[in-house]
Amino acid sequence: MRLLSGQGAWLLQRITAVYAGLFVIVVLAYFLIAPPADHAAWVAVIAHPAVALGSALFVVLLLLHAWIGLRDIVLDYVKPMALRLTVLTLGAGALILLGLWALYLLIRTGLA
Amino acid sequence: MEFSIYRFNPETDTLPKMQRFTLPDDQVEPGMMLLDALLLLKEQDDSLGFRRSCQHGVCGSDGMNINGMNGLACITPLADLEAPVTLRPFPGMPVIRDLIVDMGNFWEQYRRAEPWLVNDSPEPEVERKQSPEDRDQLDGLYECILCGCCSAACPSYWWNPDKFLGPAALLQAARFIQDSRDEATDHRLAELDDAWKLYRCHTIMNCTQVCPKGLNPSRAIGDIRRTMLKKSL
Repeated sequence: MRLLSGQGAWLLQRITAVYAGLFVIVVLAYFLIAPPADHAAWVAVIAHPAVALGSALFVVLLLLHAWIGLRDIVLDYVKPMALRLTVLTLGAGALILLGLWALYLLIRTGLA
Repeated sequence: MEFSIYRFNPETDTLPKMQRFTLPDDQVEPGMMLLDALLLLKEQDDSLGFRRSCQHGVCGSDGMNINGMNGLACITPLADLEAPVTLRPFPGMPVIRDLIVDMGNFWEQYRRAEPWLVNDSPEPEVERKQSPEDRDQLDGLYECILCGCCSAACPSYWWNPDKFLGPAALLQAARFIQDSRDEATDHRLAELDDAWKLYRCHTIMNCTQVCPKGLNPSRAIGDIRRTMLKKSL
């Protein structure tokens, strides 16, 4: 089974969707039931190791999910090889930057 | 009854056009199929090109796009169609003439599914037997007549006809993957495990909607994925 092609990609997209879906439901429920009172309370929640770890996992899985979806769209619609490679490279670069930025924010909040 | 039919003759036309035909009401009979009407229209204009053979939904020759939906002219009741009946060749396939398309790529993808039984065990004195339960696994798969209605209705096949096998060929792949007598299951599954041959399917399900034999290629593709998953875990 190849990880990011064929069955591996298909399976990973479904697993990441389940985690991301559950994570979003939990976060929404938290905001509806017991929203943090102020910025300090919000930072305290994020700084909790379980929340930080769960959020970091969410970011990584969401980006993997996005990568598989982006690659699927590009494989379907973008035919010229040079353009395909450019779009995939830019997409991968953007997703990696987003991931690093999100993880940086999580770590900074945790250390604050 | 009015018809609007796609016409293109590569020897004389640079662009295709839609031609109006009228079938006089006295020629329309109860229980008439679209193919019967086409044969009468061909008497009006014998340059009208379309394929047909058995006329009973078995050979799969007269697949075409009927009022926007792929189907077989010979088993499509005329009474079910809204006039003007618009007939076009299969979408996504190169037109040879009028309603006749080049199905070379379709057959090439069929070949890539290796639609034959692989069994290198010594031949038994009688036939290779199956239990009734194993035989049941082939129901809904073996009945395909390879008319091409499904693959020609599949957007994934339109986008990547050279790389994605398409629902018809995948239904055949499933037919041999599910066959208890076949010994090449691992090879078949490994061949399909890339980004193109099977996994370009996005479960759009046009294939299942248009199949004139009432088969479900979408479910067959899901079964291949499930079998692949079970084998790899």
